[in-house]
Amino acid sequence: MNTSSKALRLSNPRRRGVVSRGLLIGLAFVLFLGGCSALSYNGLVDKDEAIAETWSKIGVQYQRRAELIPQLVETVKGAANFEQETITAVTEARASVGKMALPSDLSEGSEELATFMKAQQQLSSSLSRLLVVAENYPVLLASQNFLALQDQLEGTANRIAVAQQDYTEKVRLYNSKVRGIPGAFIASAMGLERKTQLEFDPVTQELPKVDFSNFGDE
Amino acid sequence: MEAYKSGSTHEIALLTLPDLDGGSIEQRSLEIARSWGIGGAEANNGALLLVSRDDHEMRIEVGRGLEGELTDSVSGRIIRDVISPEFKQGHFEAGMRSGLMAMHAAIGGDYGPIERTESARRRSSSTLRSVVTLLIILSLFFGSKGGRGGSNWPLWFLIGSSMGGRNRGGFGGGSSGGFSGFGGGGGFSGGGSSGGW
Repeated sequence: MNTSSKALRLSNPRRRGVVSRGLLIGLAFVLFLGGCSALSYNGLVDKDEAIAETWSKIGVQYQRRAELIPQLVETVKGAANFEQETITAVTEARASVGKMALPSDLSEGSEELATFMKAQQQLSSSLSRLLVVAENYPVLLASQNFLALQDQLEGTANRIAVAQQDYTEKVRLYNSKVRGIPGAFIASAMGLERKTQLEFDPVTQELPKVDFSNFGDE
Repeated sequence: MEAYKSGSTHEIALLTLPDLDGGSIEQRSLEIARSWGIGGAEANNGALLLVSRDDHEMRIEVGRGLEGELTDSVSGRIIRDVISPEFKQGHFEAGMRSGLMAMHAAIGGDYGPIERTESARRRSSSTLRSVVTLLIILSLFFGSKGGRGGSNWPLWFLIGSSMGGRNRGGFGGGSSGGFSGFGGGGGFSGGGSSGGW
């Protein structure tokens, strides 16, 4: 058997060439497809990682904000008869935020996420209210300590806003890959799904503006 | 001073706009800082001082690599204590100049020697050149306010000033695109501070 097939191949070199060329082409095609899929898959994985990274950045900034609040509360308490209500609101919001970890389930309708975002939003609004109220206390506005805290809080709020914006953009990029070609095939083969965009509430505090309308008249 | 001697290559850009066109200063400055690629590509050690004339708003946008030195509160203090008081008196050149100096100083970790450095040391000639450029352009900008020229007044100007200056020119350093000589960094996460006058 062995010898006869050897004999056959030897006796028919042309046929052997066709077979191996066909094989080569087939192999190259498979390799090419495989390479493309691998590249596409890796691209999706990278994009997914980037989303996760941005999400954790958001978490870091939320955390930072929460850490600044006790100091802020202490400083504000130093101002004579500061509106107690606003302080309580911030303290409570801070406490409820403090109990929560950054959610890992970011899918649509995730309760964990909804509770987390709601608590953060509560903190944002009570905090901006406190900072607005603080504008009425000259003692605070003259305190370097308070001003520095205010800068830091505004800074974290802005960083949160930037990270949220980046997050939205990264999810958009990912989704457009998942829906496009060849991403769509890879995604369905590997069970990757589109990601839900998160609805972020604004975190930035409004700075009261001072109007100097005589600018440029001199 | 150590920073200059060891050849720190941070980049500080200054841009004044006639107005923000309804956008927020945080948004604009982030866009600008990122698209210009201020700061070294690896180090992301760039900062931008953005002033919007008609909105009376300004912002110091700080690259990730400088957030440790030019912190939010330092940026806030520079705006409140250094720039704003000058602006309120109409001293725009002075305000921006001392603001930039203060930013350099904060990055170098020292406020004092900057002025002396500027006049006495060749080393910081790029800073001096920046300031001179700044003055020239500022005088153009604020000098001709009589002509309040409407919308085509976006006088963009920038300073790419690199301290240490051994192998980097102030302008025209290697950059991967964009129109300026910035280092191609642009790693900004929203650090810095905003204020008004």
